[in-house]
Amino acid sequence: MKDTYRRFSAARIIEHLVQIVTFCVLVATGLSQKFYSSDISVWFILKLGGIDNARIIHRGAGLLFSLAAVVHIVAAIYGTIVRKWQPSMIITKNDFRSAVHNIKYYLGIENLPSMSGKYNYTQKFEYWGILTGGLMMMGTGAVLWQPVFFTRFMTGELVPLAKVLHSEEALVVLLIIAGWHIYNSIFSPEVFPLNVSIFTGYIPRERMVREHLHELARIEGRTPEEIRAQMQKDAIREREAESEEARRRD
Amino acid sequence: MRGMRATLFAPALFFILVLLPGPAGSEQFISSGEIQRCLGCHAKPGISIAFKNKETQAAFVDPGKFKGSAHGSMACSSCHADFAAGEHPARTFKSKDQYRIKSALVCRRCHTDEQIKKGSVHAELLEEEQQGKAMVCTNCHGSHSIARISGKGALASEEQYCMRCHERRTTLRFKNGESRAIKVDIVLLKTSVHGKLDCSDCHFGFSSDEHPQRNFRTSRDFTLASSESCRRCHFDKYTKTLEGIHYAILSQGQMNAPVCIDCHGSHEIARVGKERTASARRCQRCHSKEYDTYAKSVHGNALFNEHNQDVPVCADCHTAHTILDPFSLDYRERIPEMCSKCHAKKEIVGKYGLSTDVVKTYLSDFHGVTLGLYKMQRGENYKPGKPIAVCTDCHGRHNITSTVGPNATIVKKNLLKRCQKCHADANEHFPDTWLSHYEPSLTRAPLVFIAGIVFKIFIPIMIIGLVLQILLHIWRYAINR
Repeated sequence: MKDTYRRFSAARIIEHLVQIVTFCVLVATGLSQKFYSSDISVWFILKLGGIDNARIIHRGAGLLFSLAAVVHIVAAIYGTIVRKWQPSMIITKNDFRSAVHNIKYYLGIENLPSMSGKYNYTQKFEYWGILTGGLMMMGTGAVLWQPVFFTRFMTGELVPLAKVLHSEEALVVLLIIAGWHIYNSIFSPEVFPLNVSIFTGYIPRERMVREHLHELARIEGRTPEEIRAQMQKDAIREREAESEEARRRD
Repeated sequence: MRGMRATLFAPALFFILVLLPGPAGSEQFISSGEIQRCLGCHAKPGISIAFKNKETQAAFVDPGKFKGSAHGSMACSSCHADFAAGEHPARTFKSKDQYRIKSALVCRRCHTDEQIKKGSVHAELLEEEQQGKAMVCTNCHGSHSIARISGKGALASEEQYCMRCHERRTTLRFKNGESRAIKVDIVLLKTSVHGKLDCSDCHFGFSSDEHPQRNFRTSRDFTLASSESCRRCHFDKYTKTLEGIHYAILSQGQMNAPVCIDCHGSHEIARVGKERTASARRCQRCHSKEYDTYAKSVHGNALFNEHNQDVPVCADCHTAHTILDPFSLDYRERIPEMCSKCHAKKEIVGKYGLSTDVVKTYLSDFHGVTLGLYKMQRGENYKPGKPIAVCTDCHGRHNITSTVGPNATIVKKNLLKRCQKCHADANEHFPDTWLSHYEPSLTRAPLVFIAGIVFKIFIPIMIIGLVLQILLHIWRYAINR
């Protein structure tokens, strides 16, 4: 039984860092174009040296983001098929059950939060939200970048459509990241001030017990119930030890 | 049919004038016996001459005015040659006119034709005289009260003084041999916006005392110099013109570039803005090609054929004084603003069934946003941008046509050509990327419309879901503790 477990490989850590940087740049340069008339947008665009520069930076960051996304997808497909990685991000029926279970838990109907594998249902939904959203941003972004090229194969109306999708989907992705991801990994009281596992690659066992019990059970070759029972026993023993200590002091 | 009638009271007058202490200086005009003798009768008010046709003419001479006149030191007989202290020949004249014409010939004995030709107004009169129209010096100069040319005349106002000559056609001659006839129409001047001004308010340096001789190389030089007067009052307009293209080409040596009076006129100056058709016609004088194109456009047609006062004339877009180079980037970037002056106002374009969305849709699209930011960039940190498509690129400049009715298809057809100017490889699908100023709807660009609606519904739901999830999580966490 180890104290910490490896959660993310070096490749995933680097990938995440690249996504942080490109995402921030894309949001800053993209939102200021979407809300072009607000003072802060104008200030920012002028600081960048004008709208042409803002667009170049946005497109450059978009290219990098897309490249990282393509590498990620290719690696994921290759990994699961050839290297037999376990497809831990695939959404199953269980995830929907966990979602319902968790809401019940929040409302006080259930006593314990839902148990999950390597990724819980919020993380999976978030991942697929970002991935599909990202793909849509890549596609529509390409159309907006090169409308002349794309109108060779499609009708003109698809360009304003791409504009609507690109700009609205950007908001959706931003909400997922800012509302959910940032909350869950920074502001959530369970991880505050920061869930560092994506930067270090490791996760403490106690958090594994709390958040990814099925995964821990799989790694340690026990059932989740055994681990929980063990945890409760440990907790009781600890409390007794504490009260023993207190009595001795008296 | 009586000759000159004179009532002689010479001894009595002599007594009054000489022996009684008169008003100060009264003795100074008793300079010679002759004058004394003549004035004995002619200084009496009421003395007059009668003519054959029963007309009469006062023969009164005001001693003071005569003494103060240019001829004040001369004896009566210097002009009235047949008369002397003791001689008073009887003469008869048909009419007052005949008398005046005859008397005026006396002047020409001293003031020769060569001498009087020098003043431009006299040259004109001499020409008229050769055609049979008599020149009567005294009509303008008076007779006994004759004034020095440079002296203050007996006339009530400066205007009357100037108009004595300038109401006639006078000719200005220039060094290069050009000449220009000038005639001031007092009626036009009085009804013009400058009706209350004095001549010297504009003609600085000129007055009833002074009439400086000025030499201009050409007639154009004279116009340019005259226009300088305007800025003494209209300095704001003058400084505006300094930024304009007309001044720019003028300072490059294009002497025909218009100055104030080329557009506004001089003595018949009027408010240009009021008469929109006339305003457009002023520009036509030099820009006839543009004018013709404009006249055929949807705007020009409405102005000239329907007398529509809503449509823009030249100065509405090009402005009246700060006329910018229309090919400059600066001007180009102002075009959407110019069109918005009417096309964003429902009260103006609404009555013609035109939508005010045209401006909004342009400004929120790629070109409009880029243009808006370029303008700000040029203010903050100068970065010359690419020329961005503005209203006139698709709709035309002076040849703007209607986008409803039969012309609509032509506008649409030309669109691809216009797109290709910047987007060289664009094909026939490309113009459809622009929704032709329409807001997406189920009939226009339904896909864009539906996508917008979907997100408008989906995003609020998502926000509510996320916030609830977070709040519930925090709530349960708090309870657990």
